[in-house]
Amino acid sequence: MARKDFLDIASLSREEVELLLEQAVPFKELFTRSVKKVPALKGKSVLMLFYEPSTRTLSSFEVAAKRLSADVTVFDVPHSSVVKGESVKDTIDTLQSMRTDYIVVRHQRAGLPLAIARQTGASVINAGDGAHAHPTQGLLDAFTFKEVFPETDGKKVLIVGDILHSRVARSTCTVLQKLGVEVAFLGPGSLVPKKGPEGVKRFTDYEEAMKWGPDVVYLLRVQMERQDAPFFPSLREYHKVYGITEERFKRISGEGTYIMHPGPVNRGVELCHAVMDYERTLINQQVENGIAARMAVLYSLKPGI
Amino acid sequence: MLAEAQELSECRGTEVMGKILDEAKIAEAVVALAAQIREGVGEGKFAIVGIRSRGDEVAERVSAILREAGVEHDSGMLDISLYRDDLSHLQENPKLQSSEIEFPVDDARVILVDDVLFTGRTIRAALDALTDYGRPRRIELATLIDRGHRELPIAADYVGISVETERMDHVLVRLKNTDGEDAVELVEER
Amino acid sequence: MNIIFQGGSVASEDGAPVKADVWVEDGVVKGVATNLPVPDGARVVDASGKIVAPAMFDAHVHFREPGQEHKEEIATGTEAAINGGVTGVVMMPNTTPAIDTAAVVKMVLEKAAAVSRIPVYTSGCITKDRAGKELAGIDGMRDLGVVMLTDDGDPVADPAVLKRAMEYATEFGMFFASHCEVEELSGPRALNEGKKSYQLGIQGSPACSEEICMDRDIRLAHATGAHVHIQHVSSAIGMETIRWWKSMGARVTAEVAPHHLLYNEEDIGDYNTHYKMNPPLRTAADNAALMQGLKDGVFDLIATDHAPHTEFEKAQDFVTAPNGITGLDMALVVLFHNCIAKGEFGWDLLVKRYSAEPRRFMGLEPVPVEEGKRSELILFDPNGETTFTREFMQSKSSNTPVLDQTLKGRVEMVVMGDEILLER
Repeated sequence: MARKDFLDIASLSREEVELLLEQAVPFKELFTRSVKKVPALKGKSVLMLFYEPSTRTLSSFEVAAKRLSADVTVFDVPHSSVVKGESVKDTIDTLQSMRTDYIVVRHQRAGLPLAIARQTGASVINAGDGAHAHPTQGLLDAFTFKEVFPETDGKKVLIVGDILHSRVARSTCTVLQKLGVEVAFLGPGSLVPKKGPEGVKRFTDYEEAMKWGPDVVYLLRVQMERQDAPFFPSLREYHKVYGITEERFKRISGEGTYIMHPGPVNRGVELCHAVMDYERTLINQQVENGIAARMAVLYSLKPGI
Repeated sequence: MLAEAQELSECRGTEVMGKILDEAKIAEAVVALAAQIREGVGEGKFAIVGIRSRGDEVAERVSAILREAGVEHDSGMLDISLYRDDLSHLQENPKLQSSEIEFPVDDARVILVDDVLFTGRTIRAALDALTDYGRPRRIELATLIDRGHRELPIAADYVGISVETERMDHVLVRLKNTDGEDAVELVEER
Repeated sequence: MNIIFQGGSVASEDGAPVKADVWVEDGVVKGVATNLPVPDGARVVDASGKIVAPAMFDAHVHFREPGQEHKEEIATGTEAAINGGVTGVVMMPNTTPAIDTAAVVKMVLEKAAAVSRIPVYTSGCITKDRAGKELAGIDGMRDLGVVMLTDDGDPVADPAVLKRAMEYATEFGMFFASHCEVEELSGPRALNEGKKSYQLGIQGSPACSEEICMDRDIRLAHATGAHVHIQHVSSAIGMETIRWWKSMGARVTAEVAPHHLLYNEEDIGDYNTHYKMNPPLRTAADNAALMQGLKDGVFDLIATDHAPHTEFEKAQDFVTAPNGITGLDMALVVLFHNCIAKGEFGWDLLVKRYSAEPRRFMGLEPVPVEEGKRSELILFDPNGETTFTREFMQSKSSNTPVLDQTLKGRVEMVVMGDEILLER
């Protein structure tokens, strides 16, 4: 039986992950045709419910849904503190009466997509909930990773940055671990959980981390809006200690290590300019693969209306 | 299709009527199909495109015969899952495979190849899928088995063998590369 | 009323239940002995295999009245208490308006007198509107019998304010109850900081947030000579903090809630809001430490922190859903099922910590099942079972992890004075 919802990576088996990744391949192949659209979801409606601004993820889902011929509606939710006064239940009732088949939801509250999924027959896809999960990002990262390393078992990925607040770190780490990849964290002590996921190494020093020999360095975006809460002294200090500086880049490119980043990047913070022109920087592939991965997810679900 | 039919037989009570074609008969039908195509296409360029799954294997065999006879042509495979008109009714969407259309479809003469021609719905989907790759000059249809009971205005240009069936019967085709053996069975609905 | 419970065992705080018949007449226990002759006109209740125990007392409940009667009312809350074998409760003052003046205390007590079949006591606020700034109307509340002062879920943040309140009210013979938490450390107050909070992506509230405040409050009480009662202790270090302060001679008492003994953060699973309360559920190691603390007497009482919320509110996402679970309808059965039936502890501990001590703590007489004492007792069937359906529970709300579960043990009768409050 197909799943109704796609809420996190943790509840998927390795087989399910592998199948989704495999299914993303034929979708990606469609992008080279002149007609990039297929009629698989013709007549189905997809509602984009984004309580948190995100042009990139929203567009990626929108393109994915449209390439499957679904009708896409972007539900206009004023951002910030909308939900005050309006309960999830009220929102669900509104959505139910629209008889939508798929709901793509992003919200600053962890667990909100699940709360919605439990109360609606529509298929709910989590497009990011608080610091909990961003499962399609995890999937597209794994897809990108697998294009470079078809044999994933035993490969090594170093995730650098704000692990604590990052749903990307959670989903990407989980999906990579499911594929047998070894994951390690590097980041400021104030931004790495003391009790993180099992089996993840923790580095406190770039040198040490690079000696471990990662195949990919995955940089997390520094959330500029967090600057009012002092998790580290300054962006300059962050770049110096945890960023890919010019000097570190020489070493990384010398060793042929790949670089990933969920975007958008802060140049001069997570990485220096030169990284963007490096042929082993996979950032653009990640974006393209995002559409294919999201198409595979939409295609895999069965609304239970 | 085999799995689906087995599932059906479990829940609905069906009876296998036995093999209607064995390996040798299938080989004969493939040869017949290749001969018709060779005659039909004449001198011009053309492409043979098999429909996944099993139509691709029939197409490969036909292509091999034609190539051996010196008839050059392009080849391709088409997965039509995303074009099916019954996706909403399935418990689970069919697993996708890659389509391989490496030749320019625009202005090509394409012969679609499938294993069994029944309602014509697969072919309808294949026509849509193919035309999303470009605008062929002409599309023809070749089938290993024509079992009748069309639901759409579709006819085959080349037929390996025609088989009389009841509407509710299932024709199960098994081919070596896909299923390990060559055989065609008829399963009757009770 | 004239009734004799035949063939049962009588539970007390002093040891294992003792086989004895119990005769109650006109609101007084007239006889406790084996093979008591059936008095003339007495109704005979077959209590064989069953327990006759003092009725329970819950020193920490939220009845939501006034202000949030859609969650609970004094009428429904007290019926939930009776349903669970509890015949006395202490309300917390986080109502709307808050119970911070004699006027509100009067309103609450009058309402209770009108609708409740059991005595209802209320605590009062330390500061006006629980805002942590100005002292509440302490003398007026004392006049109406209030002895416990607390700002409940919003502890007095400014230690100078709390210190002054302690210096002031202690001389009135009042004591303080502390929900311990440092607001700045607790984040959205949703769950423990640890493995689960990382997994669910919600900022956790670390145990040290509770422990720092607890230590601060006891320290202030110790310095001022006040009595402070630490509510719903949830962590091992918190328990040890109290143990240490007791050894130092501080006037500190403490309570533990059944949920902190029995559940931990792993039970939250996929955002199950029936495991969301504040202080949050912590780890299995904390469960074990708290249980040990209870056995060692670090905890003076068990209290449920009965916190009703509507299904609608609890169906929201985990952060938005309010903290708290109900306790009165089920605490006794939950503790029997998980602790007594499993040999974790005996009836004596339960009677001591959930009946006798809470009453002493509130300045009341305990209600042992002894000849000559006022009758306030329950008949409990250890071989029976209880299914906690919405219909069974008398609370207006059903936000409990045991919703629709069947547990061992059953409250069969509740007797108070000359009245049978409950009989199944």
